[in-house]
Amino acid sequence: MKMTSENDGYKKIVEILRNSKPDLIRPEEIGNEVINKIQRENQKSSGLSEFIESLFGWVYVGWVRRSLVGAAVILIAVFVYQQAFIFKQVKNISKQVVITGNETAPGSSSALDKRLTLYKISSRLSPGGEIKFSESQLEELLDSYYDLQVKYKDLLRIIEEDPEMKNYIENKLNQEKKYKPDI
Amino acid sequence: MIEKELIEECRKGDLRNFRKVVEKTTPMIFSIAFRMLGDEDTARDIVQDTMVTIWQKLSRIKTADSYKTWAYRVAVNKCYDHLRKQKRQKENRYDDQAWAIISNHISEEGITELENKENAQIINLLTNKLSPKQKAVFVLSELEEMPANEIAEITSMTRSAVKANLYYARKNIESLLQKYL
Repeated sequence: MKMTSENDGYKKIVEILRNSKPDLIRPEEIGNEVINKIQRENQKSSGLSEFIESLFGWVYVGWVRRSLVGAAVILIAVFVYQQAFIFKQVKNISKQVVITGNETAPGSSSALDKRLTLYKISSRLSPGGEIKFSESQLEELLDSYYDLQVKYKDLLRIIEEDPEMKNYIENKLNQEKKYKPDI
Repeated sequence: MIEKELIEECRKGDLRNFRKVVEKTTPMIFSIAFRMLGDEDTARDIVQDTMVTIWQKLSRIKTADSYKTWAYRVAVNKCYDHLRKQKRQKENRYDDQAWAIISNHISEEGITELENKENAQIINLLTNKLSPKQKAVFVLSELEEMPANEIAEITSMTRSAVKANLYYARKNIESLLQKYL
């Protein structure tokens, strides 16, 4: 019973609202206002377009347009040629880079040389991943190797110049080799 | 009824003809905006904004046939924007005067026509707790008597969403009537 009265109330109030169309007072005012607003917006946008026209209007001149297109095409062609040329050069350079161990001069080794030698040694020493050592240890080893090369440079020269001494040292080394156990 | 030729002329940029379109479109948009927002002045502002937007985007509609639905859609979207900006009143305060008006009208024998002020008061009271979508569907379906298909097109909802929103809007208003009458 209550449900029905609720529903009736809803229907009645909706009916009342439906029949009471809102009155639009002075509709011509809205019309005028809308037209004025549109005209103002048009003027604003035309002012902006005039400004843009004065700034970039020259791009619409026929010969300027054609020249710009030509320049753009030339620039693109130069860019493509340059890229192709650079790519070719890089390819050639990468083919030319062959580094051997002998090329790393002792004493004058740059950081890059050192790195390369380190890389080579480490890849040679641990093919099976058996020997483990740190990078700093390897660097230490390399430094001492270069030191030795410098210190004994003179000694090596003296040995080379004196055949008697050379023979003596070779004999000694051979003898030592014999006593070394095979690993 | 707005003639297709008139719309076509406006699409070409004819502002003089657009004034005629404004005259014909304004009452229907005002009705929806007024009923959705429950405020005469805001509804007038929405009508102005809507008409300016219509002028700016008129060239985008595919055919003149779809003008009416499209114009409604623009107006409903403007109302949505306004409702979202508005602080949503969570409490439905008891308004003695407005409930007395509703009570009197319900108990009266015939159907009386309301003044704008009374109309706005009652709409505000009844639809205060509805979401913007529910408001739109309630106004378009119950007050403007539009079919579900058209409402779906105007609100960009599916038909089932329209029906669901209408169901919840009705339920909400009925519970208010039960509570305060």
